[in-house]
Amino acid sequence: MLEIQNLTKIYEGGTVALRNVSMKVEDGEFLVIIGLSGSGKSTLLRCINRLIEPTEGRIIWDGVDVTHLSGEELRKVRRHIGMIFQQFNLVKRSSVLTNVLSGRLGYVNPWRSALGRFPKKDVDRALGALKQVGILDQAYKRSDELSGGQQQRVGIARALMQDPTLILADEPVASLDPATSHSILRYVEELNRDKGVTVLCSLHFLSLARAYATRIMALKDGEVVFEGSPAEIDDARFKEIYGEDAIQVEIR
Amino acid sequence: MSAEEERRQEIPGRRGGLLSSRRLILGIVVAVLVYAFAWQITEIDLEKLVTGAPDMVHIVKQLLQPDLLTREEEYQLAYGDFQVPCGPAAPQQPAASETEPYMVLSHLCGEPGEPLGVEGFNFRPNTKGILRWVPPTGTKRSLQRVGTDSEGHFAVGIAVPDVPASEELQEIEIELKWDVGLPYPSETTRIVLSKMVQTIMLALMATTVGVFVAVPLSFLAARNLMSKYRGTMIIYFLVRGVFNIVRSIEPYIWAIIFAVWVGIGPFAGVLALGMHSIAALGKLYSEQVESIDPGPIEAIQATGANALQTIMYAVVPQIVPPYIAFTIYRWDINVRMSTVIGFVGGGGIGFILIQWVNLLRYKQAGVAVWAIVIVVWTMDYVSSVVREKVV
Repeated sequence: MLEIQNLTKIYEGGTVALRNVSMKVEDGEFLVIIGLSGSGKSTLLRCINRLIEPTEGRIIWDGVDVTHLSGEELRKVRRHIGMIFQQFNLVKRSSVLTNVLSGRLGYVNPWRSALGRFPKKDVDRALGALKQVGILDQAYKRSDELSGGQQQRVGIARALMQDPTLILADEPVASLDPATSHSILRYVEELNRDKGVTVLCSLHFLSLARAYATRIMALKDGEVVFEGSPAEIDDARFKEIYGEDAIQVEIR
Repeated sequence: MSAEEERRQEIPGRRGGLLSSRRLILGIVVAVLVYAFAWQITEIDLEKLVTGAPDMVHIVKQLLQPDLLTREEEYQLAYGDFQVPCGPAAPQQPAASETEPYMVLSHLCGEPGEPLGVEGFNFRPNTKGILRWVPPTGTKRSLQRVGTDSEGHFAVGIAVPDVPASEELQEIEIELKWDVGLPYPSETTRIVLSKMVQTIMLALMATTVGVFVAVPLSFLAARNLMSKYRGTMIIYFLVRGVFNIVRSIEPYIWAIIFAVWVGIGPFAGVLALGMHSIAALGKLYSEQVESIDPGPIEAIQATGANALQTIMYAVVPQIVPPYIAFTIYRWDINVRMSTVIGFVGGGGIGFILIQWVNLLRYKQAGVAVWAIVIVVWTMDYVSSVVREKVV
């Protein structure tokens, strides 16, 4: 279980990204976080694995206070939390396989891996993960030769290598076309359903959120303005979250 | 500042600008004064471009006939005796021969300034040579060029040179010279080649020194890596400052410094170019580190990788290809600079080039100049091809 207590993040320069956010995520949930750009979605996700240091508040995951871990302990927590990014964040000049293998970095011998060597079983696993996301034939290409959708699949394969119990997905489909968006989210949904991986996913489009979420949370100006089931978001709620001028756009 | 902000700032305080008439006149007056002064102090004298041209043409002609190849030479010699003034020694005509070359003089003694006929037989046909006067004491002097006809015969009229009177015999010498065999690289060419190898190796060593020092320092001079703490920021400014100072000192100045330190020679050149390479590469490298995409770094960190792994997997792949490109570019620059670093004591081909120039041996200098042109052009081409492939 993931519990966030009174989380506040104020950036240098005074921008308040999160204001006293508290929430609970049960194991096995597919929680979608919606909200406008700049509402604090990315900051929230990055605070959970401490890519961003929270200013105040606590994050407790499986009974461990993540906020006060350091060094080795933090890395041990991170290796169980897979992360998927809007811009895929692959190392462009490295091969697809190397990018996938880097998901194992938290597990393997740091010195050996620093020289680019991975155990054979990890290599086999990486190839397996690529097969699972349907791009095994691209394994030895440079990752920037792949299309956006393929790159995001590499990102998912990389997260798979971590044996994750939690996946943080930061706008995973915002750079992709609608059809590809669905295929990517279906992989994530599969992980959630078949392997019981908890998913925290931020999305722009409410229609996508409705299609995949077991629960939706809405952020506005760093505050939680809604929490509930997808069905509960009616027109009034929608305008509350996205502002009066917003119009719903469907992605099917 | 964004373009929009700039535009907004322009609006309230808009002034007349440069074109307001009083400023314009003042500006023109100042400019005229400055240029007049500059014209004078730099001793500009356009006339010299014309008066100096013949010297220049002479030098260029020599440079265009480099002493590249040479051939074995053979020669023929013959002598005749003469006395100045006539006296008891009674010189003899050289013995005539059927086959051997020999010389016949119109008379055998006389006063300086008198005409004297010299004729030669049985020499190598169609060959050029030189006629010399060899006094009993003192140095030989060249009198005039001669050439044989198809029969191997020549005849010239000379004047007895102004030599001191002596009872001893004067000698007249004819020497014909011609080339035989195939052309082969001259001594100059061999010197230039060995110095060119030295030059390229000098550039290689300097670049290597630059790379080994600049790579670690480049991380310390990257703002994005060093801006986290005050202490690291101080290191950043320090390294940046040193880079800027070292880079602002020309390699030639470094060469002078190191020539004093370790003596004139290629080692001083290595150190001078190395020093400059450290600063130049350090700056380029660190800018590359600063432009790294942070996305992959956070992705790798999120997998639980430690600092070393993050560098090896997220940073290194992003910087290695541009580092290689910059390094090849630097080697290219270093080869170019090493060709002239010898002017100030840095060894390599520049060292002999400046000597030949000072000795006015432009044919030799020409070989060096051509070698430099070829090597620099080749390096330039190769480096651009390789850089294109890498990045």
